[in-house]
Amino acid sequence: MKDYALFLGCTTPTQVLQYELASRWVCKELGIKLIDMEDFVCCGFNQAHLSQEAGLLLAAMNLAYAEESGLDVLTLCAACAGQLAESIERLKNQETRDKINQKLKTLGLEYKGETGVKHISRVLYEDIGIAKIKEKIKIDLSHLRVAPHYGCHYLKPESALGGLDDPDNPKSLHQLVSAAGAKPVPYEGLHLCCGGKSYPVSEEMAFYLVKKKLDNVMARKADCLVVQCQTCYLMYSGLQREINERFTKGYHLPILLYPQLLGLAMGGDPKNELGLDFNTISSHELLAKAGINRMI
Amino acid sequence: MKYKRTNRAPIPLSELDPGFKSEVIRHEEARGLNVCFSCGTCTAGCPVHVIFPEYSPLKLAKMVQLGMRKDVLGNPFIWYCVTCHNCEHRCPQNVKFFNILTVLKNMAAREGYSPASWVEQTQQIMQTGMIFPKRGKWEQRREALTLPEIKGDGTKAKRLVKLTGIDKIKARIES
Repeated sequence: MKDYALFLGCTTPTQVLQYELASRWVCKELGIKLIDMEDFVCCGFNQAHLSQEAGLLLAAMNLAYAEESGLDVLTLCAACAGQLAESIERLKNQETRDKINQKLKTLGLEYKGETGVKHISRVLYEDIGIAKIKEKIKIDLSHLRVAPHYGCHYLKPESALGGLDDPDNPKSLHQLVSAAGAKPVPYEGLHLCCGGKSYPVSEEMAFYLVKKKLDNVMARKADCLVVQCQTCYLMYSGLQREINERFTKGYHLPILLYPQLLGLAMGGDPKNELGLDFNTISSHELLAKAGINRMI
Repeated sequence: MKYKRTNRAPIPLSELDPGFKSEVIRHEEARGLNVCFSCGTCTAGCPVHVIFPEYSPLKLAKMVQLGMRKDVLGNPFIWYCVTCHNCEHRCPQNVKFFNILTVLKNMAAREGYSPASWVEQTQQIMQTGMIFPKRGKWEQRREALTLPEIKGDGTKAKRLVKLTGIDKIKARIES
């Protein structure tokens, strides 16, 4: 299994530590070596809205550092994966690349266009594969009804993601959930965005989008929603708590990051290895249903 | 929902900027505007439009074509996009509206219309290299979980992004 440069992004290492913890544990167990990179900075996704060039420069800086170490990048955040993948596409244009490299020179860097990027779920899906994952399962999760949420940037823009999955009818996360032994549950509005980007500008929109997703998933009596991006995680769990406090009580839908679900199935310690006690919405009922009592 | 007719004042033609469209499509990423045939598939798939009908990718594209410079760049709704990419994914003409909007936001930012949160993020990146503050509770949490320390040094990122002038962008004054 090849090594990857671990791209933590901005939100995961400061606000969703359990995602990092569970991802590191799952990768270690599956033989994916993650290399921490001191020089990585923000992927530039948000800054591109103010200056496309600044966004591209930040992305190129990260890619150049990974390239220097001869590594491809593994991200935890779907938007980081999208931004870096889109930047790789943009930097294939010689003129653009020359312009960016001219500026990267101030740091003694050059991006040649050799580094690739993959989101962790994609590494699990493509590099490890469903069959290999199934071999590692120790705990039976077949009683769990799990609703998958892909996240917009995991699937789009399609042009930068090289045939990962069909954005209109995605299957990869369903298969990963099945590989962990749980039952993927269909629900209305699979494509609905978490609204993470809207939160700083419009609470109204953020609450609307989160509530709609929670309503649709809870209507199908799912035990949890599984996400693969820390922003989706923060929206569905943080705003779920706020909805209970400010509007309607009675929302209870545990939100798990995919490596947490897979980690449970692989026999990881819910607290020390998968950080489930950090999750805002308690997963005690979920663990009891799966017969895992170590955390309670 | 009952249909409500809105009595909108006509667009004052004398205030249109006929050069606006060419100013926008000078950016290669916004060239798609030329092949848009106004079918509205982008707006039909937009989650923001469901909540704020005032926001519509199709309408914005039309406004650019008409030269409604100030109404586009000063429109707070251009910052409401959730970046879901539905508009461009579903477009039958393969117009990348997401990229057009980025061009518009870049222009708006240079003219002082950016929301404060975006500008604050730039400041943070120049300090820590990331969108988070230099110090926080997370440091102790990381230590307790024996996760590796994060240096959070923005020196290099600052040197780099300053070359683009992004540090000069001022936030919109909220009225």
